[in-house]
Amino acid sequence: MRKGIWQEFDGYKEIADEIELSFEAGKERSFDRQLADQYLGRLHPKELKLRVVDVIEETPSTKTLRLAPVDALLPPFLAGQYIPLFAEIDGIRTSRPYSISSQPKQTGFYDITVRRVPDGLVSNFLMDQVKVGDLLDSAGPQGNFHFNPLYHDRHMVCFAGGSGITPFMSMIREIVECGLDREVTLIYGNRHLDDVIFHPELESIAQRFDNITFIPVIEKPAKTYSGACGFINAALIQEVLGDMQDKTFFLCGPQGMYDFCLPELESLGVAKRKIRKEMYGPPVDICDYPGWPSGINPDKNFQVTILDGKTIPVNAGTPLLVSLEKEGIVPPSICRSGECSMCRVKVLSGKVFQPAGTPVRKSDTRFGYVHSCVSYPLEDLEIML
Amino acid sequence: MDYDVVVIGAGNGGLTASATLARKGQKVLLLERHNIPGGCATSFCRGRFEFEVALHQLSGLGTPEKPGPLRMTLGSLGVMENLEFVEIQDLYSVYMPDGFTTCLKPDKNQTIAELKEKFPHEKEAIDNFFDLVYTYANDMIGAFIFRDPEPSRDKYPNLYRYALRNAKEVLDDYFKDPLLKTVISVYWGYLGVSTDQLSFAYLAMLLFQYIEFKPFHVKGGSQALSNAILNVFLTAGGRARFNCGAKRILVEDNQVIGVETDQGDTIETRYVVANISPMETYTNLVGKDLIPNNTLQEMNSRILSNSAFTMFIGFDCEPDELNIRESTNFLMASTDISRSLHDRMGRVDIQDELMVMSCYDISDPTFSPPGTCQINLVTLKYGDPWLTIPPGQYHEAKFRCADSMLKRTEKIFPNIRKHIEEIDIGTPLTHMRYLGHPAGAVYGFESRTKDSFFFQPGNRSPVDGLTFAGGWVGDQGFEPTLRSGVSAAKSILRQMNS
Repeated sequence: MRKGIWQEFDGYKEIADEIELSFEAGKERSFDRQLADQYLGRLHPKELKLRVVDVIEETPSTKTLRLAPVDALLPPFLAGQYIPLFAEIDGIRTSRPYSISSQPKQTGFYDITVRRVPDGLVSNFLMDQVKVGDLLDSAGPQGNFHFNPLYHDRHMVCFAGGSGITPFMSMIREIVECGLDREVTLIYGNRHLDDVIFHPELESIAQRFDNITFIPVIEKPAKTYSGACGFINAALIQEVLGDMQDKTFFLCGPQGMYDFCLPELESLGVAKRKIRKEMYGPPVDICDYPGWPSGINPDKNFQVTILDGKTIPVNAGTPLLVSLEKEGIVPPSICRSGECSMCRVKVLSGKVFQPAGTPVRKSDTRFGYVHSCVSYPLEDLEIML
Repeated sequence: MDYDVVVIGAGNGGLTASATLARKGQKVLLLERHNIPGGCATSFCRGRFEFEVALHQLSGLGTPEKPGPLRMTLGSLGVMENLEFVEIQDLYSVYMPDGFTTCLKPDKNQTIAELKEKFPHEKEAIDNFFDLVYTYANDMIGAFIFRDPEPSRDKYPNLYRYALRNAKEVLDDYFKDPLLKTVISVYWGYLGVSTDQLSFAYLAMLLFQYIEFKPFHVKGGSQALSNAILNVFLTAGGRARFNCGAKRILVEDNQVIGVETDQGDTIETRYVVANISPMETYTNLVGKDLIPNNTLQEMNSRILSNSAFTMFIGFDCEPDELNIRESTNFLMASTDISRSLHDRMGRVDIQDELMVMSCYDISDPTFSPPGTCQINLVTLKYGDPWLTIPPGQYHEAKFRCADSMLKRTEKIFPNIRKHIEEIDIGTPLTHMRYLGHPAGAVYGFESRTKDSFFFQPGNRSPVDGLTFAGGWVGDQGFEPTLRSGVSAAKSILRQMNS
C-alpha cells in the first residue's frame, strides 16, 4: 500500500485491517472470464457449426435446409430472428443472413428457407451445391424483428412478400404449436400462385386455428384464380381487418413492398410506432434508389485504398463490403442490410452513397463511419479498417 | 521498434492516452476489438432512434468562464472545438410512488432551499450537511488537487475526520428523516456502491462537483466524444486497428518487448497502455507466472462491481406528453439505505430498486428526431445471478425484468407504455458480452472505502513498460476515465525520459 497522509486520517486503522483481511480472503478469478464466455457461447456463440440434416423442396425456387448442431446445443432465439451463414464460394469468403423458419421451442434444429436469387452467389450455392451431411458455419441468432411482449399488441398483422415469409413462419408455428394467446393475420404477397412458400401448411394452420388468418395475395394470378389479387393495398387491408385498432403491423419483404405498403398503412391512420419492418438486404438496384446521384453509372470504376493496406478496384453499383470480400478483405458482417453495424468502416476521404434511412449515428456521419454493406463508392476512397 | 507505444483498448482511458502520446510525437498504435472507438462511451441505433449507452451526466466540465478539470483535460487534447456540450439544467429529481417528488438544481443555495422546503423539520441539519460537503471538498482540493506539500489536520480538519468515513454513518449522524437521507444519497447509483458501503468522500465530491461544475451532456452522445478523441489521435499521426484486439503482451526480463495481436502478427514496442482489466492483462495477456504474488493478491482482494439492467426506450411524442420534465430522474420505491440496498442488487428480479431515468431530450431537444424522445432507464444488478438462468429462459427473464421496470415507471409516468416505438434491453449478460468484463461489471472493481482514491494501486504495474488506464485502476465514470488516460500517458513519457 502506498504511504500518505491518509495514514493519519480518522478510521485509518480499521480500513488498513479491512484491506489486510481482504488480501487474505481474496478470490482467484482466472476462471471468471472463462465461465462468462462459456455461458455467452450458449446464447451468442461467435461460431456455430451446423450440419445439413435434411433438404426440403418447398417450391421450384425454394428449399428449406434443416440444420442441426454439430457439437453444442442450439442457442435460443426469438421467433423472427436470423442467423448468418458464412461460406467460401469460388474463392470469395462471404456471408448472408437467413431468418429461421422453424419455431424457437423446436430446439433440435434450425430451418432456414432459401429462395434462389438470379445470379445470387450464396442462394445458388445453397440451392445447388449443399446437400445432406454438409457442414455450414454460422453464429448465434440475432435481430430485432420479433414480437415484443412489452408493447406489441396481441394481434399481429403480418405482411410478407416472397421469401419474406420465413420469420412469420417461425412466429406462426410457435403460436400454434405452443398454444400462445396471440392472433395473427398474415397477408402474403407473391407474383404467381406457385411462388407461395409453405402454402399447404399455412392453409391447414388457418383452417385448424381460429387465431390464425391467412390471406395469400397474388400479383399475377391465372384467370381462374378466385383469391385476392394485385398488391397489398389499403382497400384490401381495410377489408381484411375492419379496423386498425389494437394491432401491431409487421412487414418483411422486398423494398418495393415497403414503398407500396407503408403509405397505404399511413393512409389508414396506422401510427408509426405500430409498424415493424425487417431489413431485407441491400437495394437490388441502387441506381433506382431515391437520392442516387444522377450521372453516376453503376459500372463506373473507382479505387479504394485501405490505410496501411492495399488498393483495390471497386465499382459504384456494388456495396463496398462485397468489393472488399472479392479482394479477400473480410470485415465482420452479419445482417448485410445496413442495420447491425458489424461491417462499419471509417472513410478517411472520398464520398459514398448510403440509402436514406440507413441507421447510422449522428457522429458516424460527422466522422465518416459507414456501414460498408450498404455503402456505394461515388469517388476514389481511402478507408480505415 | 515498430511503435513507441501500443495502447490496448479504445475506451475513454485508451483514447486519451493515445491522443496525448501521439500529440507528444510518440509513434502510437491503438488496438480495439470492436469496430469503433469508445468502449462504454457509445450509442446504437434502433429504428429512428440513436440510444445513448453510458453517459448520464458528464461531471467536471464546468463552464468556459469557470472551467472544471475535465474541460482543461479535453482542451489540452484539442478536442473541444469538435464537440458541442449542453448544460443540463437540473441536478436530479427524485420520485416516490406515494407522490413525493423533489427537483434539485445544480446550485447550492437552490438545492438547500428546495430540501428545506420539502424537509422543514431538518432545516438546520441540511445547512450543516452542505457545510460539511463543501468544507470537505475544499480540504480535498487543497491537500490533493493543489498538492499541499505540508498538509495537516489543523489545515484540513474535515479531510482528516471524514475521508474514510462511511456515507450512511454520516447521513445517520446528520439526519433523522429516512426519506431525506435517501434523497441526498441517490448518486450512489453513479458510483455503483450502495450507501451503506459507500465512502462519504465519494458522495461529497460527487455532489460538490455536479453543483459547482454543473452536469453536462454532449451533442451526438458519448460516441461523438469518442470519435472526436480518435480523430485528434489520427490527425496527430496515430494508427488505429479496429476489429483487432491483443492476444499477448510479450515480456522479456520483466520488460515489455511487444504485443501479439488477435490477427496473429507481432508488434515490437517497449510500452503498453492497457485500457482493459488487470485480470485480463495479467492472467491472459502477460501470464500470471510473470506477475509478483503481491500484485495478484491485491487484484484478487478487490470485489467486482455490479453490472446493470438497462432499458432504452424511444417514444413517438415529446417528453411533456409523458409528463417528463427533467433530465435526470431517480425513481425510488424504498427509503431503506441499509445493507438491503446492496442485497437487492444480487437478485435477478426487479422490485423496489433505485432506478435512474435519463431523458436527454430535455436539455437537448435535438437529441431524438422531431416529435419523439427517448429515455435510458437503468438499475444496478450484479451479473453472477444471471449466469444461473438456463439459456433457454434468458429471453423470458429479460422481458419479465423489463416489464417490472416499466410498471414501476408507469406509476410515476402513466402515459409511457402507449407511446413506445422502440425498446431495447441490456442485461448484465449483455454487458458481459460487449465489455468482456467478468460478471458484466460496469464499474470495474467496486470502490468501497478501502478501495477509494487513497488506497488504489495506481496505473503502474510490476512489469516495466506496462501502464494501465481506465476505470479498473482508478475511479469510474467519464471524467475519471478520460483523465486516467492522460495520467497514463504522462507516466509513460516520464518513464521514457528517465
